[in-house]
Amino acid sequence: MSSPSRHATSTIDSALIARVLKGDQQAFSQLYDHSNTLLYTLALRILGNHEEAAELLQDVYLEVWRKVARYDVGRGTPVAWLVTLTRSRALDRLRARTARGQQYKDQLDGDAAARVPDLGPSPLETQADQELRLLVGQAISALPVAQQQAIELAYYEGLSHTEIATKLNQPLGTVKTRIKLGMSKLRDTLRTCWEQGDVT
Amino acid sequence: MTHEELEEAVPLYAVGALERMERQAFEAHLLSGCPGCHAALKEYQSVAALLSFGLSPRQPPRPLKAKIMASRNLLPAGAESSTKEPPKPSLEPGEWMNHLFPPIAPARSGSLPWAIGLATLLVLGGGGYMAWTYVTQVTSDSIRLEQLSARLHEQSVKLASVQRELTGRERALAELREDMQKRTTDVAELKDQLIQREAELDDLRNQLASASRRGRATQDELASLLRVPDINAVSLSGSDMAKGAGGLLLFDPRTQKVWLYAVNLPECPSGMTYQLWAITDKPTSVGTFHMDSGETAHMLVKRLPDFARAKQFAVSLEPSGGRPQPTGPVYLTGSL
Repeated sequence: MSSPSRHATSTIDSALIARVLKGDQQAFSQLYDHSNTLLYTLALRILGNHEEAAELLQDVYLEVWRKVARYDVGRGTPVAWLVTLTRSRALDRLRARTARGQQYKDQLDGDAAARVPDLGPSPLETQADQELRLLVGQAISALPVAQQQAIELAYYEGLSHTEIATKLNQPLGTVKTRIKLGMSKLRDTLRTCWEQGDVT
Repeated sequence: MTHEELEEAVPLYAVGALERMERQAFEAHLLSGCPGCHAALKEYQSVAALLSFGLSPRQPPRPLKAKIMASRNLLPAGAESSTKEPPKPSLEPGEWMNHLFPPIAPARSGSLPWAIGLATLLVLGGGGYMAWTYVTQVTSDSIRLEQLSARLHEQSVKLASVQRELTGRERALAELREDMQKRTTDVAELKDQLIQREAELDDLRNQLASASRRGRATQDELASLLRVPDINAVSLSGSDMAKGAGGLLLFDPRTQKVWLYAVNLPECPSGMTYQLWAITDKPTSVGTFHMDSGETAHMLVKRLPDFARAKQFAVSLEPSGGRPQPTGPVYLTGSL
């Protein structure tokens, strides 16, 4: 078996999930190997803290192990489901942390690459994942910075358009327009990805 | 929200930027089955799912997998999923909605759980659509509810009125029954009285018949008396009080009875009566009789064993019931 990081995240299929469903520990191990980098990257982007991101990842995988029977293999891809689950749980932690008034030192402060699309090659991913990352990264980078910012504040920080407008001191209509235009452009650029049924 | 606003909300919803109320309104609209919004949302959610692929990849700590696998071994998949429900965090907007989307590829599982799940989602969809419809009609429903409440109150008042009228009629019916019972009792009493009167009438008829028989017997006895050869007769003549009056006194020695036949005596004044006296040494009362209005003759029959000793007879007017000795005026006199 190759290094865990060398498994293609975008190639996780329903058959693997079906094996996990039957309690196949080897399948569960493979699922982790295929998805841990993407999910950890997402969790770290949202939480900004390595330890907390690792804890979250543990929670998510154990939840998958327990709740995998509830995954509908006929609707949506396993990757999209895992991404949605991880983002949701990470935002829960973020909001709980905010409610407690607890602040972590953002460990990504000096790591701008973790916040913006990385268009260079990475030893942590397969060729297919790298191609997808480049495609998505280029699409995002092609957006005006203001649109990128509005979309990222909503998606990674869980802010509503009203909260974004307040945070950016911008009119609400402007924020809405930025998000709509940005998402619309991304849809047009990335449509080939889901039309091929690869990822989402 | 108009449908145009809902369409514009699709990318905001997919990226999780809608406010709570807007999100709920949009999800309710999705449950109505709008195909355009469903198709648009599918695309925008695909975009959202791809966003994290653009991040620079980061590797989790290497011990993490071993830690997860060890923790997982403490939680068997089947037993855990069926016996212990993990604390349920809030759902990300659209997470549950993913299950509403049609599959990218045809569904490969036709098992019963999926069928049940699909049916449940259809039911939820229908319920959500109805809920959405109702939310938009809250005002009109409230008005209808008030109208229905008013009608209900009106019907209640009418019902109470009908109940009162019914109670009054029941009371009147009870009074009528009581009155009828009383009248039935009265009729029964009248019947009893009628029977009693009829019985009394029968008695009177019997008495009349008996009296008639007695009258006929008296006449028969008088007729036979007149045929007796040794009968004694005394003629009585009217005094100055009644000069036109007269009388005949007969004595039957076999029966020791005297018969007085008086005619043309005046009518007795109120409270007065005629009294017949047999005078020997002193007057002895034989009997009394009454002359009513219009009566011209009267027959008196009494027993008088001492007839032979009497020298004179007289009839005087006395107070009712008679007197031991004559006190009033004499109307008839006669001697043996």
